[in-house]
Amino acid sequence: MRLPAYLLPLLLLLFCLYSKVMAQSNYTISGYVRSATGNEPLVGATVGVPSMNVGTITNENGFYSISLPPGSYTLQASYVGYQTSSWPVVVSNVNQTVAITMTAAANQLKEVVVETNTLEQKLNQNQMSVEKLTTREVKLLPALFGEVDLLKTLQLKPGVQSGGEGTSGLYVRGGGPDQNLVLLDDAIVYNASHLFGFFSVFNSDAVESVELYKGGFPAEFGGRLSSVVDVKMREGNQERISATGGIGLIASRLTIDGPIVKDKASFIVSGRRTYSDIFTRQINRLKEGDEDYNPIPDYYFYDLNGKVNYKLGEDDELSLSGYFGRDFFGFKDDDFKFGFDWGNKVAALSWRHKFSPRLYANTTASSSSYQYTIKNEINVFSFRLTSDIKDFGLKTDFDLILDGGHSLKFGAMASKHDFTIGRLNFDSEDNSISLGAGSNYKATEFGTYVSDDYLINARWSLNYGLRFSGFNSGGKTYVGLEPRASAKYNISESVALKGSFASMMQYIHLVANSGASLPTDVWYPSNPGVYPQRSQQVALGISKLFGAGRFLLTNEVYYKWMRRQIDFRDGANLFVNDNLEQEFLFGKGESYGNELYFEKINGKTTGWVGYTLSWTYRTFPDINEGRRFPTRYDRRHDISVVLLHKLNKRLSLTGAFVYGTGNAYSLPVARFAFQDVEGENPSVVPIYSDRNSFRLAPFHRLDLGVVLKMRPKHGESDLTFSVYNAYNRRNPYFVYFEQLKDEQDQETLNFQAKQVSLFPVIPSVTYNFKF
Amino acid sequence: MKLKSSLYFLLPLLLLLTACDLEKAIDVELPPHEAQLVVECYLEPGKPMRATVLESVSYFDEPQPPLVPDAEVFITYNGKTTRLNYAPFIDKEINKFYTHRSDELVEGKPGEMYSLEVKDGKGRRVTGFTTMLPRVPIDTLEYRFNEKEEALLLTSYQDDPNSRNFYRYMTHIDSLHEGSDREFTVSDELTNGTRVTLGSAYDYDKGDSLTVTLYHIEEQYYNFLRSTSDAKNANGNPFAQPSKIASTVQGGIGVFTNLAYDRQTVIIK
Repeated sequence: MRLPAYLLPLLLLLFCLYSKVMAQSNYTISGYVRSATGNEPLVGATVGVPSMNVGTITNENGFYSISLPPGSYTLQASYVGYQTSSWPVVVSNVNQTVAITMTAAANQLKEVVVETNTLEQKLNQNQMSVEKLTTREVKLLPALFGEVDLLKTLQLKPGVQSGGEGTSGLYVRGGGPDQNLVLLDDAIVYNASHLFGFFSVFNSDAVESVELYKGGFPAEFGGRLSSVVDVKMREGNQERISATGGIGLIASRLTIDGPIVKDKASFIVSGRRTYSDIFTRQINRLKEGDEDYNPIPDYYFYDLNGKVNYKLGEDDELSLSGYFGRDFFGFKDDDFKFGFDWGNKVAALSWRHKFSPRLYANTTASSSSYQYTIKNEINVFSFRLTSDIKDFGLKTDFDLILDGGHSLKFGAMASKHDFTIGRLNFDSEDNSISLGAGSNYKATEFGTYVSDDYLINARWSLNYGLRFSGFNSGGKTYVGLEPRASAKYNISESVALKGSFASMMQYIHLVANSGASLPTDVWYPSNPGVYPQRSQQVALGISKLFGAGRFLLTNEVYYKWMRRQIDFRDGANLFVNDNLEQEFLFGKGESYGNELYFEKINGKTTGWVGYTLSWTYRTFPDINEGRRFPTRYDRRHDISVVLLHKLNKRLSLTGAFVYGTGNAYSLPVARFAFQDVEGENPSVVPIYSDRNSFRLAPFHRLDLGVVLKMRPKHGESDLTFSVYNAYNRRNPYFVYFEQLKDEQDQETLNFQAKQVSLFPVIPSVTYNFKF
Repeated sequence: MKLKSSLYFLLPLLLLLTACDLEKAIDVELPPHEAQLVVECYLEPGKPMRATVLESVSYFDEPQPPLVPDAEVFITYNGKTTRLNYAPFIDKEINKFYTHRSDELVEGKPGEMYSLEVKDGKGRRVTGFTTMLPRVPIDTLEYRFNEKEEALLLTSYQDDPNSRNFYRYMTHIDSLHEGSDREFTVSDELTNGTRVTLGSAYDYDKGDSLTVTLYHIEEQYYNFLRSTSDAKNANGNPFAQPSKIASTVQGGIGVFTNLAYDRQTVIIK
């Protein structure tokens, strides 16, 4: 392993920069920004000194730090949904801490239009290709079955596509759903979906915010090619015990949070469970004697989230986050018992330490696992199939603020992966039949990085960094250098140009043979025969503020090259196969496009309009006879319009409209008759030609919502009405060719194409409360 | 072993679909299709040579596949070529349609090779080879009852450790000619050299006459069966990738193979 040789220059650079810190002459104002109601940290709040044209955004712990020469200033803080507030500060010859508490705008007695400069900050920040959502916004939007879903709301942002109607998988700039690094409080989540992708695992009551990076990836992130989905869990209220919850059409939620030791330690626990199985079981019981009745299978899922924060002192804080979720699908009758369960277990222990107002560290030990088990018992036979991935990881990240406009980030991570793939046991009670299969692989992954966010002057800023990553499995070590860079130039106060380059490596691969997120998708390590995936992405953007900073228009164009992409042979057996690698095919991919985004985040009417024009292709020597083919989710046009309008203190109206080019799809072009050895059951066999050469009809849908705030004696509550697919569009889910037969003599009459849709108009109502 | 995993995933969707009318007929424009010869020819020791030659058609063409009267079929064994004459007929016993036949009997021993050539007036030419396989005997066939007096069936055979083997297993109830009750194709990848037992559920009643056929099949035939089954499943399964047909013949579509099987019948009493 050549790690030390690579690390040396990085360490030298760090040493040089550290020497520079020691020679500072500016002083630092730093501290946490928290909400006045719950004392929860506000992530991504803007803190700045407008007169000096300096500003920063609070990090994932709500921490900010600004470097200023001695003098008197006005410190200003703003955050979506909160009142902008100002504090006078005097910088003398010492570093100082200023804790900022912000009041939620919604709690105002009189109607106020909150003016924040968040759009301006977005214009001025170096980072491009990033989308942020807070649960507060997402909860207002209409949702399928009323189940608010962060990942599905992200699909409404330009450059992000869904795999199919109602599914929560993210296809970011031509990347697959396996190319997203999904993090929950810095721990990886391997399969972020419930119910075959219809819902994500993130319970909206337990989550504070999500940030999605589509490109220009900061050097601290690595391990996936196409996006980073950084989900942060809420922290418990430091002041008092409170409960939040909701009763919906298919699931209910309950969250309790509060202080353990006032102003020192807090907790939050949150649970969600679907309950359709309770009704289906009743129906099955009522019909128990009916011979013709086929019982409805049981299905439910649940999530449990928990987090504890403990302030060890002024400079140290510990937090422990956990997630446990399971889906269960089961069916049984007298002779047959089928059970299928799957889910994630995630835990992260973080220690945040402030060495000085300029140096701040965050160290996290995490574990994550995903497992599915299929159990099938037919009387004397039993069949059990399990696959899982188990991880243990350690990472540490440092933030260092230097003079001269440099903000440094550096850190390292290492993790141990344990893969069990297709562990099968098939037995009969008397042992007359016994079969076993399965493979186990171990791997280690590491990464180290350094990056510098350099504010050169009022117009120019630069972020450059380098990540060095590696992976070892099956006696083979792969290493990769992943340079990252982005730059911003302000043409004027309201116009900024941005550009970025990012190189990414992915060492573990999802074995999935379909367009949906199925629970049986398993992860597979790179090894001597399976190389890591690589991508390079360039993006250029221009942003302009309009209407006195109330509107922001952004246009980004990107091109992404992907190498060593994985697909599978025709007829590949991915289920029980000890030589899974033999089914792999390797190829390359490319995606390019333009994303236009217009947004307004303050005032009575907020929302955005996004339009994406894009192309996504794959080329595999052994698929489609080596010719380039579009991916299923290659979407030429993708439009989304999201509007939220606050009519008055009690009533808000929301709407979302989406339009997309139909998915690329494979259909048979011809057929032949196959009689088989005995001619009694001739069948029609379809012949497929070019892969994904057909297009389904365009997809469009309007969702509407009304949020009515109630006036309970205690706490707050609201009723959220949602209408999914308001004009009842039959959007295509898939198309197949049906053989139409004469009912009497079973002669084939002709063949007909049929289109199947999934969701008609679905109204729902959810009752949410907080006290 | 191939599990119909997709079925499990489709269940919740099917529940939704049955609740609402979410299916409609649409028009799909298909690109022009160049018809290919489709050949089915199974050689069975001691039986006359027969073949079916038809054409592939565009999906929405007339349901009945067109005949190819000018197709010529030749089978070569041990340097001797037999021409099968064009004489379409239906074998009433197995309800099977043939287009070409000869009275020449199949005599090949295990390990010997037959070749096939099909030509027609449009210059299309299909070729294929098959190597005769030995029969693999069913060594036991037994049934067991549960407390409800329903029976399951166990079929055992010994796999040869020195070769890669592929099998097709079929169970017919009462008649061999009304479609099989159970069928699957297996390889010996997980069971090489062992005594293999294939089982059923408690599906049978007293009085059922069960005929089990164990075909010892070529790998190319196994791949063909798998690929046709995958292609059929892909039409109508939103999660499946389309599957290409793995024909055992070149220059067209279809199968040329030999049938080596053991067949036993048991009456549940």
